[in-house]
Amino acid sequence: MKKSVYISVALVSIVLGIMLSTQFKIVKKSGVVTVQRAEELAAQLKELQSEKDALLKQINDLEAKINAYEDSASKNSVITQTLKNDVEKYKELAGLTDLQGPGVIVTINDSKQAVPPGQDPNLFLVHDEDLLRVVNELRAAGAEAISLNDQRLIATSEIRCVGPTVNVNSVRFSAPYVIKAIGDPDTLEAALKLKGGVVDTLATWGIEVNIKKSDNILIKKYDGVIKFRYAKPLVEGENK
Amino acid sequence: MAYIIIVSLLIGIVIGFILPINIPSTYVSYLSVAILAALDSVFGGIRASLEEKFDNLIFITGFFGNAILAGGLAYIGDVLGVPIYLAAIFVFGSRLFVNFAYIRRYLIDKMRKR
Repeated sequence: MKKSVYISVALVSIVLGIMLSTQFKIVKKSGVVTVQRAEELAAQLKELQSEKDALLKQINDLEAKINAYEDSASKNSVITQTLKNDVEKYKELAGLTDLQGPGVIVTINDSKQAVPPGQDPNLFLVHDEDLLRVVNELRAAGAEAISLNDQRLIATSEIRCVGPTVNVNSVRFSAPYVIKAIGDPDTLEAALKLKGGVVDTLATWGIEVNIKKSDNILIKKYDGVIKFRYAKPLVEGENK
Repeated sequence: MAYIIIVSLLIGIVIGFILPINIPSTYVSYLSVAILAALDSVFGGIRASLEEKFDNLIFITGFFGNAILAGGLAYIGDVLGVPIYLAAIFVFGSRLFVNFAYIRRYLIDKMRKR
């Protein structure tokens, strides 16, 4: 055979080799999540969750310690006594204490109606907006403390859809959602059951809203950490 | 002949790994179709050389032409929403097997004659 034939065959083979290895590299890089990797991540998640639980417990212990110190300090003088009372008051306002009192317990669950063909099945599920409307209505009616699935709603709390679940204070929940609110039970119930109000609208889609009045509701405190990284208080007279 | 193919194929693979060639992942499907076409051309060339009908020009043009045409058709198919790359995969894939079958028969015949 002629020499040129060998050269062309070699050239073609080199080009083919380059193409093959390039393709191989890309396919390998394009990040198909292997089962092994998924398992690894799951294990990591579990570990971090247990770590988080341990840290939460630590927070609770430390808080109990602070309370003990405050108690012992307040016994010493009137000033520390008043200071402690002030602290208690602001803690209550900030949602850092367990509270109890009369109020309502609102249970909201996904619709159990069969979705008619052609209808958007999303309309029959509870969304963050529905929960926000209920919470908003409760606040407007004078609720003093509100919790969603035992997560206290404070000034920085979010209620947000994450896939099929709802995040509150960065904790994930799925239906049913239990909203507890302390306030005048009759006013709160009336506000929710207003004609054309929240419950009325949700009932159209068959979403179950169950309102229960109670004389004694316990609302747990916010168990996260409140820390401002960017916001700083404005000193009077230093207005820029 | 076979030695040349294997050695230069290995050289090409090594070059491909060393060179930082990067193709966006959206174009991977076109490259894979082009690779299939190129593989088909190589097998066709081997078969032709065994039948002693090997033509250098046809081999070279077939290799590059088929690869470019397959990749281009796959791209046009994607733009138009017609999965033309299926046609390329089907044609080149089946030809690959046909060519391989010829090569296999030829080699077996050769062995039997000995």
